[in-house]
Amino acid sequence: MTKDYTLGKVVVPALRGVDLQVHPGEFISIAGPSGSGKTTLLNLIGCVDTATTGVVSVAGQDTKLLSERQLTHLRLHTIGFIFQSFNLVSVLTVFQNVEFPLLLQRKLDKAQRRERVMQLLEQVGLANHAKHRPNELSGGQRQRVAVARALVTRPQLVLADEPTANLDSVTGQHIIDLMKELNQKEGTTFIFSTHDAKVMNHANAVWRLADGKILDRLSASEAQRAMASGSH
Amino acid sequence: MGGHFRLLMQVAFRNLFTSKINLLIGGIIFFGTLLVVVGGALLDSMDSAMSRSIIGSVAGHLQVYSDESKDELGLFGQMGGEPDLAAVDDFSRIKPVLEKHPNVKTLVPMGTNGALITSGNTVDLTLARLRDLYKKRAEGGETPGLRENIDSLKSHVRQMVALMEEEMARSQALLSETARTPEEKEAIARARSEEFWNGFEADPFDSLEFLENRIAPQIPDGDMLYIRYAGTDLDAFQRTFDRMEVVDGQPVPSGQRGMLLSKFFYEEYLKLKTARRLDLIKQERDVNKKTIATDPQMQRWVKENQTQTRELLFQLDPIKTRLAVERLQKVLGSQEPKLEKLLSDFLATDDANFDTRYAQFYAELAPLLELYRIRLGDSLTITAFTRSGYVQSVNVKIYGTYQFKGLEKSALAGALNLMDLMSFRDLYGYLTADKKAEIADLQKQSGVKAVARENAEDALFGEDSGNSLVAEATPGLINEQEAFNGAMDSLRRDDLAKRVYSQSEIEQGVVLSAAVMLKDPEQLQQTLAELRQSAQDAGLKLRVVSWQQAAGIIGQFVLMAKLVLYFAVFIIFVVALVIINNAMMMATLQRVREVGTMRAIGAQRSFVLGMVLVETLLLGLVFGAGGALVGSGIMAALGSAGIPAGNEALYFFFSGPRLYPTLSAGNLIAAFVIVLVVSSISTLYPAFLATRVSPLKAMQTDE
Repeated sequence: MTKDYTLGKVVVPALRGVDLQVHPGEFISIAGPSGSGKTTLLNLIGCVDTATTGVVSVAGQDTKLLSERQLTHLRLHTIGFIFQSFNLVSVLTVFQNVEFPLLLQRKLDKAQRRERVMQLLEQVGLANHAKHRPNELSGGQRQRVAVARALVTRPQLVLADEPTANLDSVTGQHIIDLMKELNQKEGTTFIFSTHDAKVMNHANAVWRLADGKILDRLSASEAQRAMASGSH
Repeated sequence: MGGHFRLLMQVAFRNLFTSKINLLIGGIIFFGTLLVVVGGALLDSMDSAMSRSIIGSVAGHLQVYSDESKDELGLFGQMGGEPDLAAVDDFSRIKPVLEKHPNVKTLVPMGTNGALITSGNTVDLTLARLRDLYKKRAEGGETPGLRENIDSLKSHVRQMVALMEEEMARSQALLSETARTPEEKEAIARARSEEFWNGFEADPFDSLEFLENRIAPQIPDGDMLYIRYAGTDLDAFQRTFDRMEVVDGQPVPSGQRGMLLSKFFYEEYLKLKTARRLDLIKQERDVNKKTIATDPQMQRWVKENQTQTRELLFQLDPIKTRLAVERLQKVLGSQEPKLEKLLSDFLATDDANFDTRYAQFYAELAPLLELYRIRLGDSLTITAFTRSGYVQSVNVKIYGTYQFKGLEKSALAGALNLMDLMSFRDLYGYLTADKKAEIADLQKQSGVKAVARENAEDALFGEDSGNSLVAEATPGLINEQEAFNGAMDSLRRDDLAKRVYSQSEIEQGVVLSAAVMLKDPEQLQQTLAELRQSAQDAGLKLRVVSWQQAAGIIGQFVLMAKLVLYFAVFIIFVVALVIINNAMMMATLQRVREVGTMRAIGAQRSFVLGMVLVETLLLGLVFGAGGALVGSGIMAALGSAGIPAGNEALYFFFSGPRLYPTLSAGNLIAAFVIVLVVSSISTLYPAFLATRVSPLKAMQTDE
């Protein structure tokens, strides 16, 4: 698939033909320098953007054939998002932030929601902070809330765009550990982008992107070596 | 579902107090609501107060008048005099038709008109009294009491002539020689001479005539006065308008001719000017808390009181003059022998001595004076132009004065004097039963057939009329002839004043309009329409109008004020709309990432729309409620304390000296609806923009 952006009169190709497949339960890292098309790729997979050419199919559905409403529905029920800058709703408490997607889903009653939210907060280690506001938390804690929010709906796929970029390396490590743990425990598929070699280390596979193309698909250790040798 | 809405509310409510922009919007909504609540309630209260004034004074709930009228009915007058109304020929014909309606409580026949009254000047009045005494003497012979009265009045007249001479000498010093004609001077000189007064008794009537014709006209103070009056069934009027109360004197006896002057009119125009000015100063001081030292109008009154003492001097005969001098000397502790100087000193009032002087004036001087130009019980000659253009004079006895409770000081409510219908019809130039009988007699004698007014022209000037003598041929014209040939005398006869008319006599005849009082005023519009219909069905050409229309310009006043307020509110809210719109745009732009995140994690556009709308609605409700609450508080405070009517003109609109405004549910609802509509409308575009925020925005980093 390809994706072009139009900047003024200039057409900027962000993705120049990417073909890939992700299997359930995988823990995949997309690596590459800024401008290589990592975010664009995640946006296409996450159904927040549409490909210029080619097909994106998520959970067996061709996203081209879906309406805006249906795409939103798809995002709500099958995809979880973790953002670089956490993107919590600042006026809501930790609990309410995590509960938010469940409320949108309208599938669970109050008690069920409570149970699910508390369970996830437990998992990310923030059960004691349920009533706090995001601005009362550290960056790492916020990102853990975001992880809990992404997973609370039990999505098949979680997308994380540079989840550690705004965190110090130790905290970032914790977040990745947490994601990995959930991946293994719940079998949730994770795709995350990063340019941090240490973070890639945890992935089952690393796709290296450059100039809108996939350079190669490596295992984590291969990628590590490639990084260390200084080549892309 | 419930959780969903709760989420919306939570986000909205939290946002409410965290954003400065929201506080700005909230402030606008707060003051907008406050304005609508307070302004609306004030105007509504004023409207209902004024309607009580109008309904309770002369209008009633509805007014009925002839559909053939050229002008609209204007009970409080209109620009350029009285409206031109066609007469309703026979009130007794329309009464049963209208009274049949179940919602009609009472019906009061009415006609308003204006006329001139002349009260002779002080010299005239004194001479007239003297003439009466001489007449009495000529009829019944002289008694010691009569002699004493005659001498007293004679010396009063001599004193007045002396004053006139003095004044003449003074004005000659100021004005040129031509200010007075030689004839005038000669007349004064003669009236001053001993020989004139020595010879007075020889032919008193001749001497009186000289004084009346040559001396009295030299005094300019007897003036013509315009008087507005309503001819009505006085008993029905009193029953219907329960705010009416007789202040001085007594009501006009049932069925008799007579007049009740408005207390306001009586005070304002018929009271001795010096006394009136003292009253006004007192009122300004007591009610409006003004001081003579600072108020130019009050200073002018004091000045006028000091300089315009002639009115007082003329009233006093030599005995009373002596008494007045003695009393004033005592009060002032002065040796000044001249009354004019004493009065001027006495009336030089300031803030320190006013209250004492005021009391002294009424205690010491007033008993010596006629305080009013017309005494209750006297007859007043009213001269009016009739419909057909000739001048008609009617003598009406003044029984008393009346006022409408709460409207004592209103010039509008006080402009109308009340008169019996019979006198009104005489003045208006229509036939009363008395005159009809007289004419019928004349017709029988002369064998002239009656011609209806409508086809008079045809009958008189048509080919087969055969008439050559127009003047005697129609009742209307005979009436006119009668007026010239002695009807005037007959109308001035005293026996008419004593006659008691039956209710049917009062009702069978011309009126200009009728006031309708309703049992249930809420059904005014419906009753109005039904009365129109039943009048039409009965073949009566009548116009039925609400009190508001009947009151003319006055009735429109509050409507105008309302329009102004609503226009102001409209402008404020248009401005608010623009500001809120802009502010919401900014707020939306600030929250693009938040909205993008919500969209990315699965919120539909409708959710975003709902979120923004709920937020503004909540904003409107919270701050609107605050404004309404504060507004209600203000109204409650005003309602118990009352708003004083600062000037007399407001008494009418406040229906009393203070307006006690009330807040109706309608005011609150109106304010709320306006606020909600304005805040919703102003949010539509920002809300729409918010729904267009792409989930991609969530991915953008802070850099």
